[in-house]
Order: sequence, then C-alpha cells, then structure tokens
Amino acid sequence: MDTSSPSAFVNGALLRRYIGQKVRTVVQVIGSDMGSVVGKSTDDLQIFVKGSPPASTTTYLEVIGIAESENSIRAETWTNFGISFDALNYNELCKLANGEFKHLFI
Amino acid sequence: MQTSVTPDAISAVLSNPSFDSSSDRPDIVVQVVDLKPIGNRYTFSANDGKTKVKAMFTASLTPEIISGNIQNLGLIRLLDFTVNDISSKSTKYFLVNKCEAVAPALDSEIDLESKSEEEGGEFKRQKLEHSPVNDVKTDVSTGITLKPKQEFVAKSASQIISEQRGNAAPAARMAMTRRVHPLVSLNPYQGSWTIKVRVTNKGPMRNYRNARGEGCVFNVELTDEEGTQIQATMFNDAARKFYDRFQLGKVYFISRGSLKLANKQFKTVQNDYEMTLNENSEVEEASNEEMFVPETKFNFVPIEELGLYVNQKELIDLIGVVQSVSPTISIRRRTDNEMIPKRDITLADESKKTVVVSLWNDLATGIGQELLDMADKSPVIAIKSLKVGDFQGVSLSTISRSNVVINPESPEAKKLKSWYDSEGKETSMSSIGSGMSPSAKNGAWSMYTDRVLLSHITSNPSLGEEKPAFFSTRGYISFIKPDQTMWYQACKTCNKKVTEAIDAGYWCEGCQKKDEECSLRYIMVVKVSDSTGEAWFSSFNDEAEKIIGCSADELNKLRSEGGEVNEFQTKLKEATWSSHIFRISVTQNEYNGEKRQRVTVKGVAPVDFAAETRLLLQDISKKSK
Repeated sequence: MDTSSPSAFVNGALLRRYIGQKVRTVVQVIGSDMGSVVGKSTDDLQIFVKGSPPASTTTYLEVIGIAESENSIRAETWTNFGISFDALNYNELCKLANGEFKHLFI
Repeated sequence: MQTSVTPDAISAVLSNPSFDSSSDRPDIVVQVVDLKPIGNRYTFSANDGKTKVKAMFTASLTPEIISGNIQNLGLIRLLDFTVNDISSKSTKYFLVNKCEAVAPALDSEIDLESKSEEEGGEFKRQKLEHSPVNDVKTDVSTGITLKPKQEFVAKSASQIISEQRGNAAPAARMAMTRRVHPLVSLNPYQGSWTIKVRVTNKGPMRNYRNARGEGCVFNVELTDEEGTQIQATMFNDAARKFYDRFQLGKVYFISRGSLKLANKQFKTVQNDYEMTLNENSEVEEASNEEMFVPETKFNFVPIEELGLYVNQKELIDLIGVVQSVSPTISIRRRTDNEMIPKRDITLADESKKTVVVSLWNDLATGIGQELLDMADKSPVIAIKSLKVGDFQGVSLSTISRSNVVINPESPEAKKLKSWYDSEGKETSMSSIGSGMSPSAKNGAWSMYTDRVLLSHITSNPSLGEEKPAFFSTRGYISFIKPDQTMWYQACKTCNKKVTEAIDAGYWCEGCQKKDEECSLRYIMVVKVSDSTGEAWFSSFNDEAEKIIGCSADELNKLRSEGGEVNEFQTKLKEATWSSHIFRISVTQNEYNGEKRQRVTVKGVAPVDFAAETRLLLQDISKKSK
C-alpha cells in the first residue's frame, strides 16, 4: 500500500486543519462549471472544488486533492458516488477518523 | 330506630386491650359493610364511620343473615364479641357471638371522617353517591374496567323480594328460596347455590366427534355484579336446551350447576373454576331485575404494548379508532379446507400506533359490514378476547368468542374519541408491526434493537429453553453442505409433505387428495459465520430461496443435469460468502435424549449498508461512554 501520500477524511469543518495537505471528502453537488464544482459538505458547509471535474457529475461526488483554504480543495481525483449516499454516516466517520480513532487512520 | 353508629367505638375497643370480653363494655353500634359468606359463616367489616375492622359472625348467626335481619350496610348493636388477633398479621378482628339488628341497609357506607372535618364533628349519616373506593376505581390510569367496579352488596332473599315488590316474575321464585351467591364464593364442594349473572359472552354451538361418539357443545361467559367471571359449558341436551335461552347481555338466575377446576390451557376468564350445566340445571331470565350487573368487562392493552403478547396464549382486549375497513375475502383453512370469510380493520389509539385486526367468520360479515358502512365516521370499537400473532410484526385475530362493541359507552371510549377528534386524526401514525419485525417481503429491517453476534447464541446453551428467543444477526453464509436433504416433496395447495402414490402422482394427507404433480420446498441447514463464531441455521422454503437465489425445483433441475460444469455446485458456491441480515428464533430441541439448540431462520434480508453503518456508529458511541 502506498502510504507516501495519505489523504485525510474530512468534512467541511475539518478542512482547515489540513490546509496544504492532501484530503478526501464527499460533497453534494450544488453547481458546476468548467473549472470548478460548488458542493455542500456532509456537515452542511459550502466547499469549492477546483480542477477539472468530470463531464457529468452525480448528486454525490468524492474528491481527493490538496486543501487550499478552509473552504476550497484543488482536486486531483474525482469520483461520482451516485445519487444515494448516507451523508450522516460519512460525517460521523470524518469525526471519528480525526478524533477518538485518529490512530487507526493514516 | 337508631340511625347512626357509636362514634369512635372501634378505636376505643382496640386501644383498650384489657377488655377481653365485651361484658365490661358498653354496647356499641356499627355498620356492616362488605358482608361476604365464607363457608357457612359470614365475614364483614365493622364500620364506626371512622375506623373499619374485619369481623366475623359466628355460625349461629348465619340464619339471621339469610333471613335478612342482618343486612349489608345495615346497623347492628354488638352485644357479645371478642377481639382476636389475625395470627399472620398484626391486625385484629372481632368475632361476633351475639348482636341485634338496629337498622336495615343504609344507602351507603357511613363516613364521618370527611364530613366531621367540614362540619366540626357533627355526626351525620352520609349519603355519598360514590364510596371512596369507587372513586379510586374510576381513575382513568387504571383503565381496566369499562364501568367502575361496584361495591359488592350481599343481598338476602328478603331484600330481593322487597326490591321486587312482590312482582311475581318467575325469576323471583328462585331468589325467594335461595340467597344469591357471589360468583367468587362458589366452589366444587358447595351444595346448592343460586347466582345472578349477566351473559357477557356466548360462543357458537360447536359439534365435536371423539372416541365416545359425537355431540355438541357451547359455552358462555358469566359475569356477576362484582365483576367476577366464570365460564359455563353445556353439552348435548343441556346445550340444545339452553342455547336459545342464553342471550348475550341478559341477566339470569342460575342454579344446580357443577363446578370443577378450570383447565388452565383453555382458560379464558380469571377464575380457578369453571361451571358445567346439565339439563337439570336451572336457568331463568331475571327480566324484572334492575340491579346493576356489569357489562362485558374489558382489560384494554394499548396498541404500543401489544408486542409483549405476541404468540402468547393470553388473550387481550383492545380499544381503538377505526381507520380503515377492508372488504371481506375468503381464506381456506388449512386444517379442513373450509372457506372462511375474513375482513381486516385497522385501529389506532393514543399511542399513535395502528394495528390490523382480522375479523373472522360472522364477525367479518356481520359487524364487519356495519363497520365498513360507518368507517368514514371513525367509530371507536372495543374488542374482547383477541389473539396476538406475529404476522406482519404484530397482528390481531378474533376467535370464536371474541366480542366487538361499536362506540361503547365508557370513559376510555370517550377519551379516545375526544383525543381523535382534537388531534388524533391529524397525527401521522405508524403501524406497530413495522417496528417489531422484518417485513421480509421488501427486505426492510427497522428493528436493530435485538441485534446480536453469533457468540451470544453459541455461548448461551440455555437460550430458548422456556420459550423461543428471537434475535436479528448479520452474518455470512460460510458453508452449504451439498449432499444434505435440501427439500421435501410438497403439496401444491397446502405445502404439506406428500407421499408418492402407489400408481402415480402424490397423495396429500392434509388435503386428502391426490395430485399429478408436487413441488419441492426447501428445508436445509446452512452454516453462518460472523467475526465471533459460527452456527448452523435451519431454513425453510421462503428464506432458503433468498439464500440460494432460486427455487428448490430449479436447484433440483440443476443438480439432475450434472455435466462437467456443475451448475448446482456453482449455485451453492455463489450463495456462499454472501452476507445477509437474519431474523432467527432460538429454541431447545431434544435429540437422542440430549438437549440441543436449534436456530431457525424466520426471515432473510439483504444488508442495508447505510443502516448497518448507523448501527455500528451507535455501538461505537455506546462503548466510548
């Protein structure tokens, strides 16, 4: 397993902890154009994802990239997560992965 | 005539224990309350308006009571009595050897306590509408009886006669000759008695056939004015004689029946005894009686508490607002293939839960039709004696002796109606069943509360010893033994096992007929594993079909095809290492003289990952607390 470049699970609020580092998150797509996507994080915050999004996006989208600011990510990997996704569970996962169970995550 | 008691007489006697005989005491006048026969004697409570003490008349005074000289609620002067200890308790009781009647029955119990507070100790006879006891009983929270339980009033024959004012109704004859006994006092060793009871339930005439021949039988439930109930059964001639005589809701004098210990298995009313009436028993309608005898006594269970009664022998009573009424459909009864009409109604109550009640037979066609016609008015109905089953989680069924009352006149019904009118009809309700068990059809599981790991089952060998224990569990199918007996030949109509007929075709014992074809139904064991262990689950047709992914007939076809790439083996392989949510029951089976745990699959559903994740998150947050 490649651990040279880990990406932390984040929600909207946790993004600020990783500015300049690699993160991954799932957003609900609110709007998109050529060079960016505006999404809602699983904790209901707005996140701007920059880069080149796929031609068509589904309701939920996973992005992996560098956190540029507390509300923007420059994405390298874009993955459509479909129309049915449990945002609440993901949000809890982010909190656990950055809190009590941080030691279990790279 | 003296019309009141001696104030504080009882406390004076009790506080001065040196008086061991009444010769030193002044005469005291007390009121007789709660007069009851015990064997050939009578007990009562002596009431001086402030204090009550248990008391008993000696047997020599019994004629005084039977003749009506001493009456319940009447006043007596105690001439000779002793104060005795009740050995087991620290309380005392009076044994009355000699007394004289001072006044006949008053309207109510004398209660000087409350009045004396208001009127500065002026002793006056109370004419309370309700006794304090009565007021407590009507408390809504107890919600047990439709009408408040009446204080038992023991009436002597002469009282009854005077009530009837010489009205020579045939019913009066028995009352004149015999005292009316409360039902609670009846026992198998008692000679003659007369009871006065209301028919609160009447079963249909049933025909039976056994080793001794055939006959007919029916039974009634009788309730007396105390609310005590007893079941009475009549066979053959007695059944024919009394079937038309007994009418639901009417009051009868009954004598010359016999009592025996009630069969607990078929017990439907709270009584240790049951009654058998033969053709020499006397049953006379008390047509001129105005005396109150309770209507059907209900013991309502709120819909949200029905889960406790699922698949229990105990019958329950229910009250609810009718939400919907289905048309009747005919159901074929498995045991004898008879077609029976059935109608489903949905009821709701203040717990904001709904439940489906299946009305069967006459209740479906008769009162069910009535309900259908008035369903839009949301009537309140009370149903006596329902069986609670687990179909669709929780479901209720009427039985032959169930009783449906539309818009009953009771506090519960009024309360429910006003709740429904004010808020209930706007409220969104959920079915009680949806939260109780898997609705196996759509694979949705809403109950995660009894989720266990396999180790919970395998490490508790006594699980399911008393009654089946139910759980949900998530696990992988880890092994399906390919050479086990996976199915049986089943009747296409009733799914029962068929035997191959001698000439051709299959004989079904259940349907009593032969069919050209049969279908295969699964009955297989599969090994299920999770992170804590493994266990063998027995699985029947519907569940096994979901596990394997095809019907038993199809799987059998694959097996018979054989060939190089054995589709049968492939099918089993595909089924292995897939995960499911299982609803299981754990029971104890005796096998070769050894007790064994048996796990049976009651339902299978695919894993809902989001729901499972929520469950895991819940567990994590519970653990970290």
